Amino acid sequence: MNRLIILLIGVLATTSVFAQGPPIFTETPILLGLDGGGMRTFGRFIVKENATVYVQPLAIPYNLGSKTQIGIAGRFININLNNFESVSGFGDLTFFLKQQLYQKDGKGKTFRIIAKLDQVFPIGKTSSMPSIGSDSWQSQLSLVTGYVTLKYGIYGQVGYNLTSNGLPDNLIYNAAFVYPLLPQKYPPNQLNLNIGINGKFFTDVNSNTILASGGIQWITSKTALFEAGIQIPIVEEVPKAQKTNYVLTFGTRILIF
Amino acid sequence: MKIILKTGIITLLTFATFILSTTNVNAQTKSETDKTYIKIEVDGLSCPFCAYGLEKKLKQAGSKDVLIQLEEGEATMSVPKDQQPTEEKLRKIVKDAGFTPKEITFSTTPFKMKKDEK
Repeated sequence: MNRLIILLIGVLATTSVFAQGPPIFTETPILLGLDGGGMRTFGRFIVKENATVYVQPLAIPYNLGSKTQIGIAGRFININLNNFESVSGFGDLTFFLKQQLYQKDGKGKTFRIIAKLDQVFPIGKTSSMPSIGSDSWQSQLSLVTGYVTLKYGIYGQVGYNLTSNGLPDNLIYNAAFVYPLLPQKYPPNQLNLNIGINGKFFTDVNSNTILASGGIQWITSKTALFEAGIQIPIVEEVPKAQKTNYVLTFGTRILIF
Repeated sequence: MKIILKTGIITLLTFATFILSTTNVNAQTKSETDKTYIKIEVDGLSCPFCAYGLEKKLKQAGSKDVLIQLEEGEATMSVPKDQQPTEEKLRKIVKDAGFTPKEITFSTTPFKMKKDEK
């Protein structure tokens, strides 16, 4: 169960590591601008009944063309067990590939579908208790869709995560709605409201986790974005001592290429 | 004598002002006629944060004054006449930036912007 918790932390830490544009907690099919050659990092506090986990990932995507993106993401993790000493170290490394499958554009709107492959390399520290790394090779394939207009954006993601070394496989399902609070203009000065759900069903143990998400984004220029959000579990089928109270995220994305 | 001097100075100043303004107008007109103005209708421009790539690629085509108007779904720019890109090249640039090009218009005079009409 301890490793399941680590996997869950990994899920909470990685769900949006690769989301290079709005929304905050769900993947996007758009590979452009801040969704393209950028660098993303954020601080995430996962407050559980028995521990507080801090995750600081760094993701760097690179566009090979307008339809293909590769990238790498690493993360630093600190786990502070209540009333015990804390452990920290570098977590697993993830390589990802996005390939656009479909694009339909209209005036001020676009509908896109991409396939996304995440490959987790279990290089994270496993000598501590609890473990920082998952000690499990993981491959995740998902389909990501998005309908984005100047007035709103709707995003969805469904995927399956194959694991090794005794961890349960899991089905992921995310959805998000993004609403701009300011008129859309370019160069951008945007304030976006994000709401959504992030779900994960561990198939081998029939355990479900669904988080309700909310957040706000401020895009200050063509190349910088700041965001903050909260996730609250609405379904979490784990022992009470390991339940998540809430997850706080503060982050930034900077365009570097 | 004083009157003649005053009249002379005023005449000189008037003449200098006239010459300078004429030169300026001529320079401006010459500069404008040396340019080609281009308007590209672009589909898929649905978010400000993703338009940056299009602006960057159009600037690489030789323009220094790319203007992207999201609501109109348009990019306008000007280039020196001797560096005017072909329509085919512009379509490729827009596609490579991840958008869909529609109508492309070339003009010898600047396009009227929506904000100018207000």
